Amino acid sequence: MNERQEDDRSNSIATLDSRFSQTLRNVQGLLKGRSMPGKILLSRWSDSPDDTNSPNYKRSFSHSDAGTSDHTSGEEEEEFQSTSKPIGITSAIKLRISTSLGESPPEEVRKSAVGARATDSARVMKFTKVLSATVVTLDKLRELAWSGVPDNMRPKVWRLLLGYEPPNSDRREGVLRRKRLEYLDYIAQYYDIADTDRSDDEVNMLRQIAVDCPRTVPDVPFFQQQQVQKSLERILYAWAIRHPASGYVQGINDLVTPFLVVYLSEYLEGGIDNWSMSDLSPDKIANIEADCYWCLSKLLDGMQDHYTFAQPGIQRLVFKLKELVRRINEPVSRHIEDQGLEFLQFAFRWFNCLLIREIPFHLITRLWDTYLAEGDALPDFLVYIFASFLLMWSDKLQKLDFQELVMFLQHLPTQNWNHQELEVVLSRAFMWHSMFNDSPSHLAG
Amino acid sequence: MRRRKKENMGSAARVGNSSYDYSFKVLLIGDSGVGKSSLLLSFISNSDSIHHLSPTIGVDFKIKLFTIGGKRLKLTIWDTAGQERFGTVISSYYRGAHGIILVYDVTRRETFTNLVDIWAKEVELYSTNHDCIKILVGNKVDKEGERAVTKEEGMALAQEHRCLFLECSAKTRENVQQCFNDLTLKILEVPGLREKGYVVVKRQKQKKSQSDSCCS
Repeated sequence: MNERQEDDRSNSIATLDSRFSQTLRNVQGLLKGRSMPGKILLSRWSDSPDDTNSPNYKRSFSHSDAGTSDHTSGEEEEEFQSTSKPIGITSAIKLRISTSLGESPPEEVRKSAVGARATDSARVMKFTKVLSATVVTLDKLRELAWSGVPDNMRPKVWRLLLGYEPPNSDRREGVLRRKRLEYLDYIAQYYDIADTDRSDDEVNMLRQIAVDCPRTVPDVPFFQQQQVQKSLERILYAWAIRHPASGYVQGINDLVTPFLVVYLSEYLEGGIDNWSMSDLSPDKIANIEADCYWCLSKLLDGMQDHYTFAQPGIQRLVFKLKELVRRINEPVSRHIEDQGLEFLQFAFRWFNCLLIREIPFHLITRLWDTYLAEGDALPDFLVYIFASFLLMWSDKLQKLDFQELVMFLQHLPTQNWNHQELEVVLSRAFMWHSMFNDSPSHLAG
Repeated sequence: MRRRKKENMGSAARVGNSSYDYSFKVLLIGDSGVGKSSLLLSFISNSDSIHHLSPTIGVDFKIKLFTIGGKRLKLTIWDTAGQERFGTVISSYYRGAHGIILVYDVTRRETFTNLVDIWAKEVELYSTNHDCIKILVGNKVDKEGERAVTKEEGMALAQEHRCLFLECSAKTRENVQQCFNDLTLKILEVPGLREKGYVVVKRQKQKKSQSDSCCS
């Protein structure tokens, strides 16, 4: 990021930037001298010290170093630095962090294209380097991808992160070809048959999928195209048949959409608003569907009990979310409880649809970069992301009664969100994860 | 704790002003895609166009204030997901409901038969107000050409299960207001339900301070 761009980001966002950088400084302070089992976490933020123009975070540091940060953040930093011994963080400090961070309402968050980080040339070079290796080092790729993947590399990076495309380049072509044929086989075997050859349950499932496909992401016109809906239907039905323990569950239709958009972007030019499925040959559509199918399968393999009967996996995570919010921000937690609002009443959908319903669609793929980089750790990390997301409105929430809370949480004001807000959510999630994940008293359920 | 929860989710709403006399909880159930959310949107907003809505996940929740028979009412309407698989969660939706709207799609016969096979049983199982009012609603009558369930069949089922009955269209808004009117008028006729929904601000304040002191 060069100086001119830095100047463009005028003082009006100084508050946010300083808070944001403070978050990161806090994280670094906390991590200092602390043994972290997950090395990935540590290195995400400090790629390589000589790379001064790549990560946004670096820029944010210099921004506040230049004197734009306010007094309180200075104070806080001292406290953090002084307490950054291995593991031990006193509860008083925890409370302090949580309240001070909770105080930045999204209203003051200015729109700014911070997503630029992913396309920053130095980052692109790093990705290129990792991806061009004969055998891709997945840990390195995860580190990079956590902070966002450049658009044109996303299809490949996602396939690799999900373990669908093998890291060994010699095997890549063969495996993908075989997997794509396998998908075609499923379609021939399960989908392209007469209803009379299906069981009653299968007929019902297909019917349910057919009811949901036309109303998937209804606010994005692209998904209204009939061919898109047909592709969705085939992918979902094949997945449902192949996963009888859960079958199709409403909301899984949402989960296909990021994959569909990303794999279509390999074949279609321009933005989603100008895409037409009819520009694609049947071969290409089959490949895209196969990639979506396998990626969906891989993603959901890590969340098997999220969609089985009564969705125990989701209920468990909702419980963890409630506990985590209580530890991070006791007043918000107590207020929610006093009002008789159950976390299940709003957070169920968050886990079920992985936040697709809650933030603008154009931000979803960036969010999913982090999801997929987390890999097997994703379900537990979701708890941190969602706590961070909820606490974006910590002040506001405390002013609402039960009914206002339910209404507010069901239509959160994220319509004008841009990458910057999302980065705040993710960086706080990261920070809280570093602070709380090793401590034993919560998440014991 | 438990008492307070009940208060909020059920009858006596905790509000500072008393701009209404009665507060009722109404639940919308039925197969997915029959138009529960659309019906609700059509009732709540005055816009004429009902677009495609995403399938409801878990529960959605809306409030409508209106006056009927000289009484000022507040309805809190819980709109549930059509795919039944939430088990324990779903019982919290039913808790304290004064009215239940059972919706089917007149163009999809299975949504009608499922009301008996699945939904009526669920009402039986979870409903806590045993005198709560039910109304059977056949939606999408704007698609008359595709009709698969006759009005007579609907009426017969309603009679059998002692429900009110209406056919409507969330799209054209035909009978939508009527559906909620019929339901609330009937609720007001049942003394047990009417009393539970009667808003007495003073009584609530007492209750609240009691529970505060016992919890803190």
